[in-house]
Amino acid sequence: MKFPIAWRLGLALMLVGVLGSGLTGYFAYQASRDQLVKASEERLLTATRVLMRQVTVALKGISADVLLVAQHPQMVRILRRSHPAFQELTENNVALIFDRMMRVHPEYFQIRLIESANHGLERIRVDRGLGSIFRVDDAELQEKGHYPYVFDTLHLSPGAVYVSRATINHEVGAHAGEERPALQVAAPVHDADNKAIGVVVINVDLQGLFAQLAGDLPPELKLYLTNGQGDFLIHPDPARSFAFDRGQNARVQEEFPAAAALLSSGQRHEDYVVTSGTHTADTSEALVAAFVYQSLRGLESEDEYILGLSQPLASVLAESNRLAAETLSIVLIFSALAVLLAIFLARALVRPLSQMVAEVRRFSSDGSTGALPIARNDEIGELAHSIEQMEAQIHKQIQDLHEQQDKLDHLASHDSLTGLPNRRLFLDRLDQALARAKRHETQVALLFIDLDNFKTINDTHGHHAGDAVLQTVAQRLRTLLRETDMAARIGGDEFIVLIEGPCDDASMESIVRKVQASLSLPVPYQDIELESGGSIGIGRYPENGTTASTLIAAADQAMYICKTKKGR
Amino acid sequence: MTALLPTFIVMPVRAETPVLRVLAWPGYAESEVVQSFERQHGVRVEVTIVTSDVSLWQKVSSRNMDHDVFAVNAAELQRYIASGLVSPLKPEQIPNTSRQLARFRDLAAIPGLMSGGKTFGIPFTYSEMGLIYDRKQIGTAPTTIAALWDPRYRGKVIAYDGGTHNFSLAAQRLKLKSPFRISPAEWPHAAEQLIALRRNVLGFYTQPEESVQLFQRHKAALMFANYGMQQVHLLEDAGADIGYVIPQEGALTWLDCWVITRAARDPALAHKWIDHLLGEQASRLLTERQGLASTMAEPAATRPERRLIWLQPPEDTGRREKLWGRIRSGDNIARVLAP
Repeated sequence: MKFPIAWRLGLALMLVGVLGSGLTGYFAYQASRDQLVKASEERLLTATRVLMRQVTVALKGISADVLLVAQHPQMVRILRRSHPAFQELTENNVALIFDRMMRVHPEYFQIRLIESANHGLERIRVDRGLGSIFRVDDAELQEKGHYPYVFDTLHLSPGAVYVSRATINHEVGAHAGEERPALQVAAPVHDADNKAIGVVVINVDLQGLFAQLAGDLPPELKLYLTNGQGDFLIHPDPARSFAFDRGQNARVQEEFPAAAALLSSGQRHEDYVVTSGTHTADTSEALVAAFVYQSLRGLESEDEYILGLSQPLASVLAESNRLAAETLSIVLIFSALAVLLAIFLARALVRPLSQMVAEVRRFSSDGSTGALPIARNDEIGELAHSIEQMEAQIHKQIQDLHEQQDKLDHLASHDSLTGLPNRRLFLDRLDQALARAKRHETQVALLFIDLDNFKTINDTHGHHAGDAVLQTVAQRLRTLLRETDMAARIGGDEFIVLIEGPCDDASMESIVRKVQASLSLPVPYQDIELESGGSIGIGRYPENGTTASTLIAAADQAMYICKTKKGR
Repeated sequence: MTALLPTFIVMPVRAETPVLRVLAWPGYAESEVVQSFERQHGVRVEVTIVTSDVSLWQKVSSRNMDHDVFAVNAAELQRYIASGLVSPLKPEQIPNTSRQLARFRDLAAIPGLMSGGKTFGIPFTYSEMGLIYDRKQIGTAPTTIAALWDPRYRGKVIAYDGGTHNFSLAAQRLKLKSPFRISPAEWPHAAEQLIALRRNVLGFYTQPEESVQLFQRHKAALMFANYGMQQVHLLEDAGADIGYVIPQEGALTWLDCWVITRAARDPALAHKWIDHLLGEQASRLLTERQGLASTMAEPAATRPERRLIWLQPPEDTGRREKLWGRIRSGDNIARVLAP
C-alpha cells in the first residue's frame, strides 16, 4: 500500500480545508477591496464636489464684490464727472476701496473701473505688483474697449455679471497679472437712465484662487481645472496647463477619456465622472480621478469649467493591500488549523480501521479473537460488530465442520450396525499393538469369532433378527472386555477381539470360556429367543505369527477347526 | 498567493517610434494627412499649431527649440535664414514639386526662398488677405482698406492681432511707398493709425475659428481676413451671408513655405513630410476644407483684376511687434512710442 488511506484521507481533508479557507479569504478580500476602492472613489468625488462648491461660492463672492462696486453710486459720479469739485476725492476714495479689496483678496490681480466712453479708457486701476498693491498713474491707463470683458459686459443688464474665458493675460502693463492665467469678472455700471456707461473688472489670479481653495487638500490629491472644451487650465504638470495658448493640445479627454461625458463640446450627459487614467504611458502612475461639472448659474460666463481631483491608484489600493496581507495571514492560520484538523480526523478515523484490520488478520491467521472497537456508537462500531458476528459465525461453522469430520471419521472406522470398530480400524490397532509388543516383548492375542447358526436365524427370522443378534453380541463383547482390549466386526457374522498383555493358556481359556458363555446366551427378539453361539479361534503373538495377516490367518484357522469340531 | 493581489491591465509601452515635430498653421496638417503620413512612414507626428508670426518666431528661435519642420511665409523666412535657424533643402528629395505650377517651381523668381544659391523653402499655399463684409449691413462692397477705419462701422470691425501685418495695413492706409518699409518719420503716423484702428474695432482675433465666432456673435460688419479664403470658407459653412473683396490698395498676400529647422533630428524624414504635404491628399484637403489655394493648380475663381502684394520682410519685425503689443493693450500714442 503505497498511499495509506490515512494519508489520502488526510491529504484530501487538508486540501478541502486549505481550499475552503483560501477561497473564502479570496472572495472576502475581493468584496472588501471593491468596497474600499468604491469608498475611496466616493471620498474623492465628495472632495471634488466640495471643492467645486467652494469654487462656485468663491466665484459668487467675486461677482458679489464686482457688483457691489459696480452698483455703488460713486462709480456713476466718477464716470459722469457730476461733481467736478469732488472728482479727485471720489476717485481717491474708490481707489482706496479697490486697494482694500485687493488686500483682503490675494487672488485679485487688479480691479478696474473702465468707462465706455473714450474707447474703454481705464479710469481707476489698482494693480498688484511684486509684493505691493498700488494705483496705476493716470498716464499709464489704457483703452480696453476692444476686449470682450468690456464690450460684452456693456451689453449686460444691471445686476448681471460677466465671467470671461480663462486665458493667459497678454496685456502689456498688467504688472503681476501679465502673462499669468486669469479670469476677468466684470459688471456693468448703469447710470440713472439705465445706460451702461462703464464696467468694473476684477482680474482673478486663477492659480492663486485655486491654491487657496485647494490648500487644505492632502498632498497626494492633485487638482485639475479645464474649460468647456477640456483644455487644461490647471494641471499638476505645468506644461499641460494652457497648452492652447502655446498652440498645443492638452485636453482632459486624452488623459481621462470618460471625462468627455462632461464636456460642453460633446453631448453632456453627466455632471460628474469617476474614472481612472494616467498622465503618461507609465501605468505605475495610474490615477483615480473624479471630475465634476457645475453650471455657473446666475453668471454670464463665456465658458464652462470642469474641476477634477486625482489620487494615485496605489494609495487607493494601499488600504486594500493591507487588507490583502491580513486576509492572507488569516487564510494561513485557518489553513494550518485545517491541516491539523485533517491529520487528527484522519487518525481518529483510521485508528479503529487499522485495529480492525489487525484483528481480522490475526483472526485469519490463527482464528483467535481480540479487541474490536465495538463500544463505538457509529458506523465503525457497526462494522466492528459485524466483524465480531462474522468471526463468531465462522467459529461455529468451523466447530460444526470438526464435528462432522469426527462423525465421518467414526463412520469410516466403525461398523454402523453394531458400533464396533470395523476391519480397517482393527487392522490399524493390531499393527500398533504388534509394534508395542515387539518393543516391550509382551504378548498379543486374537480371538476370531464366527457366529453359529447366524445364517439360519437370518433365513428363518429375517435380517432384522440377524441384526439384533449382531448388536447383542457386540454389546456383550464390549461389556466382557477390559478397557485395553478391543472388539471389532470384520465381516458379516465375524468378530475379532484383540487382547494385549499376558496371554498364557489359563487366562486365554478363561476369556474364551467367558466369551463363549456370553455368546451362548439366547438373544431376545420380538418375544422369542434366538439361539446363537460362536466358534472361537485363537491366534497368539509371537507363537502363532508375528504379523497381522499371519496372526489373523492363524486365528481364523483355529476358529475354523473349532467350527468343524462343533459341526461333527 | 499572487492571484489575491490586484492586477492591472498593462498597456504596452510605445516603442521608440521616430517622432517628427511639426509647427503648422491652422488647417495645414489635417488629421487625415498626419495619419496617412504616420502610417506610410511608421512614425509619430507631433503637430503644434501656430497662429501668429510672433509666436512662430518665438518657438523657432527659442533656445530649447524642439521642432523639425515648419511652415512660414516667404517674407518671414529671410530672418530665419539670417539667424541660421533653418537648413538648406534638397529639392530632389521632394519629387512632388514637379506637380506644382510653373510659377511656384521657379524658386529663384520668388523673393525670399533662396539664399546664397541654396533653397530654404518650398511653396505650399498662399492667400491674399482681403476684406470680409456682411452683405446685409454693407450694401456696396468696400473698395479700400480705409473701410476698416470707417466710423460707420465702429464697433463692427474685426481685425487681426498681429503687429507685422497690421503695420503693413497702416502703411497701406498711409499710402506709403512700400507697406514693408516704414521710415523713422513714419512710425508715429503708422502707430496712430493702428490706435485709430483699435478704437474702431470690436476686437482682435488670432485664430480663424475665433474670428468666425466673433463675427457671428457680435454681428460684425467688416473683417480683415488674415487667413483669407480660409475664413471665407468657415463663415460660409457657418451660414453667414458675406462678401470678400480685394481692396484697391492691393491685398497683402502671404506665400507659406515649408522649411526645415537647422536642429532637425531627421532631415530625410522632414523632406518626406514636405513631399507628403505636396501630395494629392493634402493639396485636395487644403482647397476643399480650408478654401486655401494649393500650389498645384490655379484657383477656380481667378480674378485677374485683383492686385496681390506679396509679403516681404518688413524693416523691423521686432519693433512692429513690440509697438503692436502696446497698442493692443490700450496704450496711448506717447506710451506706444516710448523707448
